[in-house]
Amino acid sequence: MSANVSMRDALYEAPGPKTRRRVAIGTGVSLVLLVALIAFVIRQFYINDQLNPKYWSFFTRWTTWRFLLRGMFGTIKVALMAGVIAMALGLLLMLGRISPNKALSAACHVAIDLFRSLPSLLLIYFFFLVIPKYGIKMPAFWMITVPVALAASGVLAEVFRAGVNAVPKGQTEAAMALGMTHGKITRKIVLPQALKIVIPSLVSQLVVVVKDTTVAYVVSYPDLMQNARVLISNYDALVSMYFVVALIYIAINYATNQFSIYLAHRQGTQVISRTSENPI
Amino acid sequence: MGVAEVFTAFGDVYLKSLLSTWLMTIVCFAGGLALGILATVLRVSPIKPLRVVGDVYVQLFRNIPTVSLLVIFVYALPYLGATLSYRTCLLACVILVVSSFASENFMSGINAIGVGQIEAARSIGLTFTQIVRLIVIPQSLRTTVLPMTNLLIATLLTTAMGSQVPLTPPELTGMVNYVNSRSVAGISAFIVSAICYAGTSVALGFLGNKLDEKVRIVR
Amino acid sequence: MPTETATPVIELRHVDKHYGPLHVLQDINLSVAKGEVLVVIGPSGSGKSTMCRTINRLETIDSGEILIEGQLLPQEGKELAALRAKVGMVFQSFNLFAHKTILENVTMGPIEVLHTPKAQAEAEAMELLRRVGVDTQAAKVPAQLSGGQQQRVAIARSLAMHPTAMLFDEPTSALDPEMINEVLEVMVELAQQGMTMVVVTHEMNFARRVANRVVFMADGQIVEQNTPDEFFDHPQSQRAKDFLDSIKGH
Repeated sequence: MSANVSMRDALYEAPGPKTRRRVAIGTGVSLVLLVALIAFVIRQFYINDQLNPKYWSFFTRWTTWRFLLRGMFGTIKVALMAGVIAMALGLLLMLGRISPNKALSAACHVAIDLFRSLPSLLLIYFFFLVIPKYGIKMPAFWMITVPVALAASGVLAEVFRAGVNAVPKGQTEAAMALGMTHGKITRKIVLPQALKIVIPSLVSQLVVVVKDTTVAYVVSYPDLMQNARVLISNYDALVSMYFVVALIYIAINYATNQFSIYLAHRQGTQVISRTSENPI
Repeated sequence: MGVAEVFTAFGDVYLKSLLSTWLMTIVCFAGGLALGILATVLRVSPIKPLRVVGDVYVQLFRNIPTVSLLVIFVYALPYLGATLSYRTCLLACVILVVSSFASENFMSGINAIGVGQIEAARSIGLTFTQIVRLIVIPQSLRTTVLPMTNLLIATLLTTAMGSQVPLTPPELTGMVNYVNSRSVAGISAFIVSAICYAGTSVALGFLGNKLDEKVRIVR
Repeated sequence: MPTETATPVIELRHVDKHYGPLHVLQDINLSVAKGEVLVVIGPSGSGKSTMCRTINRLETIDSGEILIEGQLLPQEGKELAALRAKVGMVFQSFNLFAHKTILENVTMGPIEVLHTPKAQAEAEAMELLRRVGVDTQAAKVPAQLSGGQQQRVAIARSLAMHPTAMLFDEPTSALDPEMINEVLEVMVELAQQGMTMVVVTHEMNFARRVANRVVFMADGQIVEQNTPDEFFDHPQSQRAKDFLDSIKGH
C-alpha cells in the first residue's frame, strides 16, 4: 500500500488527466526558465571576459593541483586533528555531565553550553590575538586546530549524551541488578553501545569542522583556502579559483554527509543532528 | 585593561556592536526562513525540474563553507558585474546558508507528518490546498520549533563571519579585533563578546524550549 | 432493468489493479445497496483493503469503473473532494489529526468542507461524541486517548459529514483485545440505524451478527459471496473452507 512512499510524494494524489496536463506544462515552463537562468549566468561570465582561457588553462597543469592538494591535505590534517581532540574532550565533558558528582556535572554542563554558544571565529581570535599578548607563542597549526576543536567539543558532548540516552534503560538496570557500580556500568555497558550509535553523527560533524577550518588564513595556516589565495595572486585569476575551491569544499562535505547517512542506514540508527547540535 | 575598563572605554561601540549582531541575526534568520520556505515548496512540488533545483540548491548551500561563499560575493561578483556592499554580501551569504538548513528542517517536519494524516484529510473531503493549509503547514511548523531554535542560534554564531569584512560598527567578533588594535585589552574584549554570545544563545534556547513545550505535537 | 431497483450506493464494475507484477484486484464486480452492510473478509494480501480504499480513490485503479450513487468516481480536484465528503472512511490506524483536539477533529470537516457555522458544527460534534461515548474527552488531543477511544472519535469524525456510506478498513486490527468491543458496539448501532457500510474485518462474530452479505476475497478476486449464515455454515469454495478452518484454529 502506501508504505515506502516518501512524504513529498504522499502529499499528492495519483494524478488525474487535468493534473497530468498541468504537471507537464509546469515541467516545460520550468525547464525553459532553468535553461534561461543557466544561459544568463554563462552570459555574465562571457561578457565580463571570465570565460577567457587564461583564467582556466592553469587548471590543466599538474603544479596547480599539486599546490591545491597540498592545501587540501592541510585542511584535512587540521580537520582530523581537531576532530580527534573534540571527540576526546567532548566525551570527557559528557562523562562529567552524566556523573553523579553534582559539582562536576554542573561545571561540565556550563562548559558544554559555553562552547556550543561561541562562534569558532571568536575562539580563533582568542588564540590568535589574545593569547600572544600574554607572551605565549603557538604554531599556526595549533592556533586554528585548538579553537575549532573547542567549538566542536560542546556539540560532540551533546551528541555523545544523545547516544547514551539512546541505549535502552534495561541495559543499565540489568547491570545494576548484577551489582555493578555506576562507573563500571558506564564503561562496560553503556559507552560501547552509545559510541556505536553515534558513529554516523560523528562523521557528519566532520562537515562542521571542515567548514570551521576555512578561516585558517586568519592565522596564515596553508589550508585549501589559503593556498587558493596564493594561486589567485600568482595567476591573477580570482573568479575561476574561488568557484573551483567552493566546489571542492562542497564535494568534500557532500561526500562526508552521504557517507554518514550511509553508515546510519547500514546500522539502522539516525544521524543525531539539529535538535542537539548547531548545524552550521 | 580589565572588563570594567573595556566597558568605560568602548561601552558605546560595544552596545552598537551587540545591537548590530542581533539585528543581523534577525534579518538573516527571517530571510533564511523565507528563502527556506521557497526552497521547500520547490522540493515538494510535483514538477520534477523544480524538485531537482530545490534539492541541488540545498545541497550546495548546506555544504559550502560560509567564508568560501563570502569571498565569492565580496571579491568575485564585482568581476561578474555585481558589486554589493560588504554588509549586503554578508547578509546574503548567511541568508543563503541558513535557508538551506531551514529547508532541511521543514522537510523533516513534513516527513514527520505521516501518510495517514493526509489520507484522513482526503477522506473527509478536504482539497489539496486545504490539506496544505490545515494539516501540512501547522504540523510541520510545530515539529520544527526546536530545530529552528538551534538554527537561530547557529545564525547568531554565523554572523561572526562579519569580522572578515570591514563593517561599521563591527559585530561582536570583529570587536575583539577592534578593541585589541586600539588598546591592550587582552582577554577582556574576548570575555565581553563571549558573554554577549553566550547570553543571547541561552536566552534564545530558553525561549525556544518554552515555545516547543507549548506547541509540541504528541504523536 | 426493472425500474423499482434503486441505484446502488456503491458499485464496482470490472475493476482491475496491479502493483508492478502483482495483480492485486482482478475483475472485481460488486454493488452495495442503500442500507446494506457488506463485510469483506479474506486472508491478508487478498486485496480486500485495497478494494476498500479504491472506493474513495485513496488507491487508483488501472481499469474498470467505480460509481457512487450512480455517478462515476471523479479522478481529481474539487469533484473528487466533494465525493469523498459523502463517503466516510475509518482507518486501521485511526489517523486522527495529531495537532487538533478531539472536538476540532470532528468539526474540521463540517466547518471547512460543508461550511457549517462553527457553533452549530460544535454542537453537532458534541452530540456525535456523546453517541460514541467520548464526549468527556472533547478538549484532549488524540495522543491522550486510548486506541478504542480514538477509533470511536474517528467514526464520529466521519459521521459529522453526514455520509451516504461508510468504509471501514480493518477498524479493530490495531486495537488491544479489550478495546475491540467498544468500537464494534458503535458499528453495530450504526448498522442498525440503516447506514450503508463496507467493512473489511477479521471479526467473524460481527460479520455474523450484522452483515447482510459476506464477500470472501482471495488473491485479488472475489471468490464467494453469500448471506453470513450460508457463508459461515456452508462455504462453497475450497479457499473459503480453508480460510474458515484456519480462523477456527485460533
